Amino acid sequence: MAWPIRASATAARLTEPAVLTLPTAAIRRWRRLPPALLIGAAMVLVLLIVAALAQQIAPYPFDQMHIRDRFSPPSLRYLAGTDEYGRDVFSRVLIGSQLSLLLGVSATVISMGIGVPLGLLAGFRRGLLDEVVMRGLDLMMAFPPIMLVLLILAITPPSIMKTAVIIGVLSVPPIARVTRSVTLDLMSGEFMEAAHARGERTWYMLLRELLPNVWPVLMVEASLRVVFAVLLGAVLSFLGFGVQPPSADWGLMISDGREFVDDAPWISIAPGIAMGLTVIGISLLGDGLREVLDPRLRGRR
Amino acid sequence: MPPLLELRGLTVRYRGESGDTTAARDISLVLQPGEALGLVGESGSGKSSVAGAVLDCLGPSTRIDGQIMFEGQDLLALPRPRRRAVLGRRIGAVFQDPFTALNPALRIGAQIAEPMMHHLRMRPADAHRRAEALLVEMGIARAADIARAFPHQLSGGMKQRALIAAALACEPPLLILDEPTTALDVTVEAQILRLLAELRQRKSISVLFVSHNLGVVRRLCDSVAVMYASQLVEIGPAERVLDRPAHPYSLGLLASRPPLEAAPRGSRLPAIQGQMPIAPQPELACVFAPRCPFCEPRCETTSQSMVEMPSGAHAARCWKTGTLGPWPRQAISAQAGPAFRPGDALVNVTGLRREFATRSGMSAWQVSFTGGLPRLRHQVGRVAAVDSVSLTISPGEVLGLVGESGCGKSTLGRIILQLIRQGSGSVEFDGHDLAMLAGSDRHDFRRQAQIVFQNVGSSLNPRLSVGDALGRPLTLFGLADRRTRAAQVDALLEMVRLPASYRLRFPHELSGGERQRVAIARALASKPRFLVCDEPVSALDVSVQATIINLLADLRDEFGLAYLFISHDLAVVAQLSDRVAVMYRGRICETGPTAEVLAAPRHPYTRTLLASAVDDLPAAGVADTPPAASEFLAVNIRGG
Repeated sequence: MAWPIRASATAARLTEPAVLTLPTAAIRRWRRLPPALLIGAAMVLVLLIVAALAQQIAPYPFDQMHIRDRFSPPSLRYLAGTDEYGRDVFSRVLIGSQLSLLLGVSATVISMGIGVPLGLLAGFRRGLLDEVVMRGLDLMMAFPPIMLVLLILAITPPSIMKTAVIIGVLSVPPIARVTRSVTLDLMSGEFMEAAHARGERTWYMLLRELLPNVWPVLMVEASLRVVFAVLLGAVLSFLGFGVQPPSADWGLMISDGREFVDDAPWISIAPGIAMGLTVIGISLLGDGLREVLDPRLRGRR
Repeated sequence: MPPLLELRGLTVRYRGESGDTTAARDISLVLQPGEALGLVGESGSGKSSVAGAVLDCLGPSTRIDGQIMFEGQDLLALPRPRRRAVLGRRIGAVFQDPFTALNPALRIGAQIAEPMMHHLRMRPADAHRRAEALLVEMGIARAADIARAFPHQLSGGMKQRALIAAALACEPPLLILDEPTTALDVTVEAQILRLLAELRQRKSISVLFVSHNLGVVRRLCDSVAVMYASQLVEIGPAERVLDRPAHPYSLGLLASRPPLEAAPRGSRLPAIQGQMPIAPQPELACVFAPRCPFCEPRCETTSQSMVEMPSGAHAARCWKTGTLGPWPRQAISAQAGPAFRPGDALVNVTGLRREFATRSGMSAWQVSFTGGLPRLRHQVGRVAAVDSVSLTISPGEVLGLVGESGCGKSTLGRIILQLIRQGSGSVEFDGHDLAMLAGSDRHDFRRQAQIVFQNVGSSLNPRLSVGDALGRPLTLFGLADRRTRAAQVDALLEMVRLPASYRLRFPHELSGGERQRVAIARALASKPRFLVCDEPVSALDVSVQATIINLLADLRDEFGLAYLFISHDLAVVAQLSDRVAVMYRGRICETGPTAEVLAAPRHPYTRTLLASAVDDLPAAGVADTPPAASEFLAVNIRGG
């Protein structure tokens, strides 16, 4: 028969314009990204660069004291002024970004490392395992997090890694719950039944069939967790249970500056602004990611 | 008489992220008072957009041009509030999904009474009384009870009746029905259609009936309009369009519907090749030309307008109207396929029974107050989804399994593949009891028995490329190493008639039919001997359905595959099956060679099923339900 051949020729003709418009389509797609994502990504990128190069950018070492320049207001010499020991606040804020990010990221990695496997398994296996895991998580969530952290840090010597581990463990329930609910949704998909029909092993189904589909949602949740960890870490330092002096930590700096807030407000304001920008940047990135990745929100743009 | 509804150059555009898409282009048609017009087309043809434009329910990001003249006024020119008043009162609407169209928190009666109170300013008591009367008119026996019931207490058919009652509450002269029976079982569909035909005669209302199903349209409509790729391609009296179509697309659609008769091995359905263009450009050429077997050079260079047929009142958008021959059949494959030899059974199911708990977990704990102290009891409700089922399938044989939704046919298929625990009874595959299989034997059974699913949306992992999805079974069963894998994936794609370049695509880049081809290729990758096909074509359009049925027939003949072919559609089953088993409420009520079951059904349920599937019933109320059917139709009323 002659016509199927012609049909394929026509198909080729149809695809031609699509190839020609590809670059403009790519640009249009880039333009269509939500502004929140672009702004958030830019802010987080700057934050990462600053944290990575803090030692190189900082005009002074964070613990160098300028005894004659104590309480200098912001100037060209000391961009954000100096504190009661004459230490450059700007340099300390830059160095402090390392601690905040370290805390935020390591706590999130820990919570994902525990929460994602738990959620995947609970959603995949269901039954008794599911019940035990979920009720255990409910129990954890029943305690106010700040109380739990304070309790542990008050009776044992504080350290930044310990803080990270505790905040990480506290973030396990939301991560595990999100993972489980997405997994449950995926389990009804027929591609999972096809995997069962092939007799696939559990680990293959978890890692290759389920995890890639859970990932987008987890990225969004992770950004929220980083924000939570940064803020909680700052609160702990502020209360004196987190990072110990003379480290340059934002929460600690705000706490130290309290005494002088009338005469030298810059000591507290500078780390406060840094923390605000960090939280806003990561939150925007998370919101933007959700808008791009969540199919339920896709139509509204 | 002036027309009741007239569309003049109606164009519907959706504003999208990547520019506008035109869903309906320059649609002009006329609906006379008392007339029923069927608007037919595949999904994506724009038929629902036309109905949506009239009903003003397309949302804010649409642009509608042209005129919608209803009772002498242009609806598009009316201000919103006045248009709304016309909609509930003068135009009634019923949509596809009765399961979500009713508010679950309100009683049925209240939902039917609401439009009367709103539009006709009826007092609540009067409106409720009239709601009950309407339910009686809809052929509902215990109308008073039903009016007090909540939606979840009714079956799909009952819900759809209630929705029709609500649409007719204000006695509108026009009723717009958008796929009103698509979500229902065939037997229920037949009842609803009979009801609609009756209502049309009694109340002389006009109907705009949107459907993809030509058989359904034939049963209800006086005239038919066919849409393809956003354009109207043919319009005319029903008997002309459906019996002597003037447009090749209508011809192809009609030809690709499986007839309700046993098809011999080696025969194939005529099918429309290719697929509907996503962004048709009717200014340049005929939109159907790439798929048209009658296409000439001028069809590819010049667009055409509607051409009036000499018989009048019948027009088609084609240069060659009146000169079309029959739709060409795919050549019958040279090797007509080895007819299966009944012998040792490949699959042997005996006395299978599987119960499910209707109540479990917390809700199974109940406090009983009878006599003495209250006692806590653990009471699990049980229902048998599959009950004393026995069947055999020989190597290379196709057994069709028919039944309506909820009858247990999918459960049975999954038990045979050991995807669901089997309960009592036994399933043997190739002489081995599956309950006893372990380790490498089980692995080998998995390789030999595979499944194809209904839901083309979820049968492929959205994050796996086609190549990865097809490569996995090859690796898993050790059928390919790193070097030969790519070549074997290409061979699989070729087997389901897809180009090798599809290896790199992801599921969302494929059409429904293409996804089903990939799913079939994935099932065949392990070179199985037995395939469970669970409603493999139910989610597809008629023309795509035909190509998939043909593909399954080709594969059956080429590889001597045995199928358990599960479907609710008797005609589809008949195309492929050597034998048919009819399932009703968990039991197999009739089995036999396909031709025999179709020609001389023994069980009354089979007869009902057959009667519902025959599509050229005379229109209104002439053919009655077979007497035995009433017993089965009683299933319709659940609970209160």
